[in-house]
Amino acid sequence: MPLRSLLIVAGVALAAPVFAQQAAPAGDPKEAHKKIAMCEGCHGIAGYKTAYPQVYHVPKLGGQQAAYLANALHAYKAGQRSHPSMRGIAASLSDKDIADLAAYYSQGHK
Amino acid sequence: MRALIVAAAWVLASNAWAADPAAGKAIAEKVCAACHGVDGAKPVAPENPILAGQYPDYIAKALSDYKSGKRANPVMKGFAEPLSKKDIENLAAWFSSQQSTLHFQR
Repeated sequence: MPLRSLLIVAGVALAAPVFAQQAAPAGDPKEAHKKIAMCEGCHGIAGYKTAYPQVYHVPKLGGQQAAYLANALHAYKAGQRSHPSMRGIAASLSDKDIADLAAYYSQGHK
Repeated sequence: MRALIVAAAWVLASNAWAADPAAGKAIAEKVCAACHGVDGAKPVAPENPILAGQYPDYIAKALSDYKSGKRANPVMKGFAEPLSKKDIENLAAWFSSQQSTLHFQR
């Protein structure tokens, strides 16, 4: 089988379960580079702590599981999780933005 | 003077986090391992977060919120509800001191 067909078959096989689950758009880490400015102010500062409503370290995101990150952003957007800044930011994100950001952080290298 | 500062820092550090990671591991083996892995580094499903290497105060905050219901998740509420404050601190100490792909990223 020519390499190109093989890649297409592999791509479809990989993408199929994702679409079957929730028709989530595929995340592109390169696209996320235009969108991480809003994350960096807290998650991009090593050891940063949020001060409201409680004081604790904002979580490390690099290397986290993509599906978990996407679910977290969707939950903030839907109001199921309560951090005020995260709610505001997630509300501005499209499904594609969320997929791109989840791909960016989950595929990150040290 | 320098020795005094070092001594003061040591006292502060040991008081600030008097949690017991070994006690946390014992709970993790019974309660958390089936979904997150004993060390929290290799969850069994993509929806389950990696816990190994996460900040301890964030892990403790998440568990407290699951316990109180502030963070609504029926599965995690069931596991977090029986945990004491000390259990939560010990679990946070255990998972945060384990290695995984999790890291700080800009």
